[in-house]
Amino acid sequence: MSGLHVDSIRKRFGDKQILNDIFISCKPGQIIALLGRNGSGKSTLLKIIFGSLSADNKFIKVDDRKIDSLYQKRKLIRYLAQDNFLPNHVKIKNIIQCFCDKKNAALVMENNLIVPSLQKKVNQLSGGEKRILEILLVVHSDAKYVLLDEPFNGSSPLHVEIIKSLIKEHSKDKGFIITDHDYENVLDISSTVILMDNGNTRVIKEFSELIEFGYLPARSERIQPPNL
Amino acid sequence: MRTVYGLWFFYKKLIIPSLVVSIALSYLMTAASNFLIGIGISYIFLTPTFHYLTYELKNPNEYYFYYNIGLSKFILWTNTLVISTMIGLLFMLI
Repeated sequence: MSGLHVDSIRKRFGDKQILNDIFISCKPGQIIALLGRNGSGKSTLLKIIFGSLSADNKFIKVDDRKIDSLYQKRKLIRYLAQDNFLPNHVKIKNIIQCFCDKKNAALVMENNLIVPSLQKKVNQLSGGEKRILEILLVVHSDAKYVLLDEPFNGSSPLHVEIIKSLIKEHSKDKGFIITDHDYENVLDISSTVILMDNGNTRVIKEFSELIEFGYLPARSERIQPPNL
Repeated sequence: MRTVYGLWFFYKKLIIPSLVVSIALSYLMTAASNFLIGIGISYIFLTPTFHYLTYELKNPNEYYFYYNIGLSKFILWTNTLVISTMIGLLFMLI
């Protein structure tokens, strides 16, 4: 069975059960929007799938291969962390060559947004520029599945559109799981919407369900995104 | 090769602070021990300390860059300990 399958994920912080038997499945070509209120466990779930956070219980399988440790996932999963994560002391050109294979590195280095900064170090970029670079690196990686934690955070409207088209373009041969509070833009590109609520996941079929389950305020009905 | 670059980027950040403090400490203790042996011993112990301060306390988010290129925390710590011991021993043997 091809695809990324995440099953029986349980995580407790102190007395609070953050994740309770979570199941998510993602195939190349799919863009899954993972929505939920603050503290609902979205980032925790992505970190567990990626392998940087341990779970009380987990079962992760990629294309019939059970995954236990982080470095087994090298060519399978990439993760865009919520905050900037690039090493400040390294030149951007070197970072790109280290992060991507030759073909993809050339594509990133040819990108109009990156060309002027190639010889700079990461600490010379603004927060938004760092974010764009991180997204370009993660999306252009050789991994089949990409986890994006708040990709639109700190990005200007123009950059948001660039990020959206980049994700759409690469979703032809990659599977994406995206979480961001900018729900309109996330819904705009997603093929499946999952709401995290009280440690459980719910597949959302109608936009009104986001209001019904308390993710959006009632007045949000006016801005019905095209995909729902 | 990309893994080697990753390990180098990670370690590069620790060299200057570890070396500067090692030289300073060894200079202060020249009366008690040989200058180069002092640098070597200090370097072996200071690099893991700077690793902890730099990556575990100050910039824990940077680990995600290395995780993404397939380097786990265990590999990065092992790299720091092995390379520092080798450089430290080199100073001691000169």
